[in-house]
Amino acid sequence: MEETSLLEHTNKSDVLLQGVIVFVFLAALTALEFFVAIAVGSVVLLAMIAFVKVGLVLYYYMHIYRLNAQDDALDRHSYQYKLTTSRMGLWLFLLSDAFIFGGLFVSRFNLLGLTALPLSSDSQYIALTITSVLLLSSFFMNRAEVSMEHGDRQGFILGISITIALGLIFLAGVIFVEWPSAISIGVTPASNAAGAIFFIMTGMHAFHVLTGVIFLSIVLRNGSRGLYSPEKHWAVESATTYWHFVDVVWLFFYPALYLIGKLVS
Amino acid sequence: MRHYLIAGVLVIVLAVATYAGLMAIHLMPVEASAQSIPIDHLWNIEIAIISFLFALIIVPLVYSLFVFRRKKGDTSDGEHIEGNTTLEVTWTVIPLITVLVLAYMGTYTLGEVLAVDPSALVINVTARQWSWEFDYTEGFSSKELHLPVNRQVVLDMQSTDVIHSFFVPQFRMKQDVLPGRITTYRVTPILIGTYEVECAQLCGTSHSYMTAPVIVSSEADYDAWIQKQVAAAAAAAQTPLGRGQQLVAENGCTSCHSIDGSSTGIAPTWKGLYMSQVKLSGGTNVAPGTVVTANEAYLTESIVNPSAKIVDGFQDNVMPKTFGTALTQSQISDIVTYIESLK
Amino acid sequence: MKKFMTSALIRGLLWQLIGWMAGALFVTGIRVLMGLNPFVTGQYFFTEPAWVFGGLVGAVSYVVSTGAVTDWFKWAKGEETPEHREDPPGWDKYLNVSLDHKVIGVQYTVTALFLLCVGGLFAMIFRTELAHSGLQFLTLQEYNTFMSLHGIVMIIGILIGVAGMMNYLAPLLVGAQDMAFPRLNAFSYWIAPPAVVLLLSTLVFGGFDTGWTGYPPLSERAPLGMQMFFLGVAVAGWSSILGGLNLIVTVLRMRTKGMTAFRMPIFIWAAIATSLISSTATQLIGLSFQMVMFQRLFGMGFFDSDKGGNPILFQHLFWFYSHPAVYVFVLPGLGIISELVPVFVRKPLFGYRFVAMSSLGIALVGFLVWAHHMFVSGMNPYLRIPFMFSTLLVAVPTGVKFFSWLATIWKGKIELPTPMLFVVGGIVVFLLGGLSGPPNATVATDLHLQNTYWIVGHFHDTMFGGYIFPFFASIYYWFPKVTGRRMNETLGKIHFWIMTPSFLTLTLLMMRVGLLGMRRRVADYDPALGFDNYHLIMTIAGYLIGIAVLIFLYNLVVSIKNGETATGNVWNSRSPEWLIPSPLPAHNYEQPFEVVGEPYDYGVPGSAYVRFEDTKSARD
Repeated sequence: MEETSLLEHTNKSDVLLQGVIVFVFLAALTALEFFVAIAVGSVVLLAMIAFVKVGLVLYYYMHIYRLNAQDDALDRHSYQYKLTTSRMGLWLFLLSDAFIFGGLFVSRFNLLGLTALPLSSDSQYIALTITSVLLLSSFFMNRAEVSMEHGDRQGFILGISITIALGLIFLAGVIFVEWPSAISIGVTPASNAAGAIFFIMTGMHAFHVLTGVIFLSIVLRNGSRGLYSPEKHWAVESATTYWHFVDVVWLFFYPALYLIGKLVS
Repeated sequence: MRHYLIAGVLVIVLAVATYAGLMAIHLMPVEASAQSIPIDHLWNIEIAIISFLFALIIVPLVYSLFVFRRKKGDTSDGEHIEGNTTLEVTWTVIPLITVLVLAYMGTYTLGEVLAVDPSALVINVTARQWSWEFDYTEGFSSKELHLPVNRQVVLDMQSTDVIHSFFVPQFRMKQDVLPGRITTYRVTPILIGTYEVECAQLCGTSHSYMTAPVIVSSEADYDAWIQKQVAAAAAAAQTPLGRGQQLVAENGCTSCHSIDGSSTGIAPTWKGLYMSQVKLSGGTNVAPGTVVTANEAYLTESIVNPSAKIVDGFQDNVMPKTFGTALTQSQISDIVTYIESLK
Repeated sequence: MKKFMTSALIRGLLWQLIGWMAGALFVTGIRVLMGLNPFVTGQYFFTEPAWVFGGLVGAVSYVVSTGAVTDWFKWAKGEETPEHREDPPGWDKYLNVSLDHKVIGVQYTVTALFLLCVGGLFAMIFRTELAHSGLQFLTLQEYNTFMSLHGIVMIIGILIGVAGMMNYLAPLLVGAQDMAFPRLNAFSYWIAPPAVVLLLSTLVFGGFDTGWTGYPPLSERAPLGMQMFFLGVAVAGWSSILGGLNLIVTVLRMRTKGMTAFRMPIFIWAAIATSLISSTATQLIGLSFQMVMFQRLFGMGFFDSDKGGNPILFQHLFWFYSHPAVYVFVLPGLGIISELVPVFVRKPLFGYRFVAMSSLGIALVGFLVWAHHMFVSGMNPYLRIPFMFSTLLVAVPTGVKFFSWLATIWKGKIELPTPMLFVVGGIVVFLLGGLSGPPNATVATDLHLQNTYWIVGHFHDTMFGGYIFPFFASIYYWFPKVTGRRMNETLGKIHFWIMTPSFLTLTLLMMRVGLLGMRRRVADYDPALGFDNYHLIMTIAGYLIGIAVLIFLYNLVVSIKNGETATGNVWNSRSPEWLIPSPLPAHNYEQPFEVVGEPYDYGVPGSAYVRFEDTKSARD
C-alpha cells in the first residue's frame, strides 16, 4: 500500500498544479506543432512533438506507472489488488483499440503518402479549435479525477461536467462544422481515397468520443449520487483513462490529418 | 549408445529414400522457361533439406514408440532428464544458420529469376472477368498468347475489374494482375509447346474457366503468326461486322455471352437474340414480366446500361457498366451489327 | 424440452431475428424520409444498408436478451451485484449465461465442435463436387460460397475451440477460482453465437464468392452475403479479442502462490502467446473488413483504384491479423502436445524454458511475416526479401518444439492411450505442415507454389497437426475432468486409425496436384490435366475423415451418460486439477495450493509440483 501510493496521496493543490503545468506544456507543444507545420513542415519534428505530448498524457494524466504495482503481499480479494487487475484489463483493451487507430493511421500514409489532405484553410482553423477543446477537456478530466481522489465531490462534478460539455463541443465541431466544411469543397466519403480516409479517421475517433461522453455521463450520474469514494472509484478512473486515451489518439490524428504536407508546398 | 547408432543409421536410410522417392515421382511439371531452372534448383535443395529433417524427426519418434514402450505392469517413471543446455542451444543455432543460408539462397535465386533483358519483347495483357486478352505491339489483339522461344518477354498486365493472377505452371511463376496499375511478368520460354495460362487468384463465378492457351513456337513460326494476325486484323477492320467481332474479342464479351446458343449461366446467349422476344425480370422502371423485342435500341441500351432491363433468369450487376464511356458510338453500333449477324 | 426452449440460447436467437427486422425497418424508414428507394424489388426486399444495420442490431439484441450484459447495466445504474453467481444444477446451465469459467469453457468447446462439423459438412459438399472434373451438382456460385464458408466457419470454429481450451484449463492450471473478469468472459462467449448466425445467413443472402480472404475489388461486387460475412467476422473477432485480454490478465494476476513464470504449466505459456496476438492483431481484420463494408455502403474508395485507393492496402491490413491468426490456432495446440507428452512418457519436458520461449518467439516473429502471403500480389518487390527472412525465422522456434518433444519421448516409458495417440498423430501431421513451409517462404519457389493446392495441403497439415489433433487429444484427456467419466478407448482408437491415414492421404495428394499446377479455389478443372483419380481418392479420404468424426461424436455423447466412471487421477498426472476428484466443484479448489516444485518432475521420487494448504488456515 505505502509504496504504491507515493504519487496518489500528495497534497491536492500540488497535484492540481501539476495538472496545470502539464496542460501548459501540452498547449505550448500544440502551438509549436502548428508553427512547425507552417514554417518547417518537417514530418520528423511533428512526429517527435506528438510523441512528447503523448508521453506527457500517458504519464501525468493516465498514470501508466500505476500498472506496475508491487502488490504481491496484498490479499487477492481486496479492492486494492483487484484495482490493479482491472487496470491491466483496461490498458490491454486500450492497446487493442490502438491497433484499430494504428491501422487507420497506416492506411492514411499508404494511400496518400506524405501529401496533405485536400482540405480548405477553414478546416485548419476548425481543427486547431477542436484540438484545443479536446486538450482542454483532458485538463478538466484530470481535475475531476484528482478531486475525486481527494474526496472533493463538488470539484469532481464540476470537472466532469465541463469535460462532458467540451466533449460534446468537440463532437459538434467535427460533425456539424468540420464535415460540412469538407463536403462544401467536394471532399465527401465517396469522392476519393483522401475523402474516405478523412471521414473514416475523424468518424472512428468521433465514435470513440461519443462512447467516452456516454461513459462519463454514467460516471457523473453515479458520482453525484455519492457512489464513489476517494478509496473506491474505479469507474471514475477507468472513464478518465479512456477519455485521455481518446485524446492521445487525436494527438496523432491531428497532425496526420491536418499538418503533414499542408502548408509547405 | 546402441539406440543412437541404430536410429542414426535409420535416419540416413530414410532421408536418402525419401529424397530419392520424391525425385523419382517428378514433383514438378516440365521446365518451360529459363526462370524455372534456378527455381527448380532451389526447390531440389529444399527437398533435400526437407527429406533430411523429415527422417531426423520421424525416425526417433517412431523408434521410441516401438522400443521405449512401457512394459505391462511397469508403473515407474522414466529417467529424470530436464534438459541439456548445450543440446538446446545447438538445435536453436543450427536451424538458425540453416534458414539464414536458405534465405540467402532464396534471395540469390530471386535475383536470377528477375534478371532483365533490355531487348525483351513487350506484350500487353488485359485480364477481366473471365478472360485474357493479349495486345501485341503490331496492333492486333489475340485470345491466345503466342511467344517466341528463347527470347525474353515482358508482359505488362492490367485488370479491368478485380484482381486476377497470371500463372503458367510450366513457367513456375505467377503474378497478380491488378486494376488501376500495371504489374509485369518477365519470362524466357525455352521449350516449344502449348501450355495454358490460368487465373490463380479467385476472381468470382467463372474463375475456374479463366484460362487461355500459351503457345511457344520457334522464332520463324512466331513471325509467321504475327504476319497472319496483322493481315487478318487489317481485313476485318474494313467492315462494321469485322470491327464488331474484333471489339467483342477485345472486350471479352464472349466469356459470359455465348455465340453458339450454349448456356454460361451468367448472361444470355447472343445466338438468335436479335429481334427475339425477351422476358424481363425487372430493371430501371420496368415491371417484372415485361416482354420486349430485342431490336437495335434494346441491344444498344443493354450495352450502355446493363441494369436498364434485366433478362429473366439472370442477375443484375454482373456486367460492367463502363462500356457506354469506354466505347464510342460507332463502336457500339459495330458490336450491335455483329450481334445481329448471329442468327 | 421446455428448459431448452426457454434457454438463453434460444431466446437470443429469437431476439436476434426481431432485432434484425427492427434494424432493417429503422433504416428503411429513414430511407423513406430521405426520399431514397426503400426496397429492392426482385432481390432481398430490404436494401443493403438496411440488412447490414439490422444484422448489427440483431447481434446486439442477442447478447442483451441472453442477460450476459445485465450486470453491467446494473453497474451503470449504480446497483450492486453479487460477486459470484451460482449456477443451478443440471445441464441447462450450459445453455444459459454462466459466470463459471468451466461452464463457459464447455460452452465454447461444444460450439466449436458444432462449427467444425458444419465447416466439415461444407467441405464434404464441395469435395464431392471435385471428385470428378466438370460440374456435377453445384453451380459455380454455390461452389464458391461453400468453399468460402468452409474456410471462415472452420476458422471461427477453431478460434472458439481455442477459447474453450483456454477458458476451461487456464484458471485450473494456475490455481485460480475463475478468470479475472467473469462477466467479460461470459460476454465474450455470448457474442459468438450471433456471429455464427450472421456467418451462416450468407447462405440465404446469395452467398459470397471471394473465399474467406474477401479481397476487394471482388468483395465489393459480391452479393449481399458478403456483408453478413464481414459483420459476422467482426463480431466474432470481439469474442477473440476480449477472451485473449481476459486470459492475459488472469495469468498475470491470478496465479497461485509460488507459481513463478518458469513454473507455469507449459500450456499457459502457449495461451499467453496466443492471447497476445488475438487481443491485438484481431482488430486489423475487423478494420479491413469494415473498410470494405463502408466502401460498399458509402462508396468510400479505400481500395478502389478508380478513386485513388489501393487494393493491396487491404491485403496488408488483412494479413497483419490473418497470418498471426494461424499461430493463434496452433500455439495452444502445440501447448497441449507439450503438456501431455511428459505425462504419457513419464519424463520431464525436455528444455522447458526453450519450449516456453519458443511459443513467445513464434508469436512475436509472427507479427512480422504477414506479407509472405503477398509475394505475387504486386506490392513493392523489394519488400519480399525482408519478409522472406522473417518468415524463415519462424522455423527456428518451431524446430525447438519438435526437438524438445523428441528428446522428451526418447528413452521414456511410453504409453499410448487415445490422447497420446492423437498427440503423436499431431506431431507427425504438424511435421508435414512445418516441412512444407520453407518452400513457400523462399520467394522464388513461392512464385510457383502460391495459390495452388500445395498451399491448401500445407495449410491443412498445420491446422490439423497444430490444432485439430491436439484438440481431440485434449477432449479425450480432460473429458473425465469435466464429466467424471471416461470416453471409450476402443472407439477412440478406431477414430484415430481411420482419421490419420485418410488425412495424410488427403493432404499429400493435395500437395501433389498443387505442385503439378492445380490452382486452389476452383470449382472445376480440366480433365486433360489428369487429376481426376487424385481427386476421387481425396474425396474418399475426406469421407473417411467424416466417418471418423461421427464415431468420435457418438463416443462423446454416449460417454457422458454411460462412460466408465473415472473420478480420480486417470492419467497419473502431476497437474493440480488431477489431484482433486472429478468433476470439479463450482469454485475449483476447495483448498488453495502452493507451487513447491517443477511442473514436470517425473522420475524424481517423492517430488511434488503443488501442495494443498489446510482448509481453514489458508482460506481468507
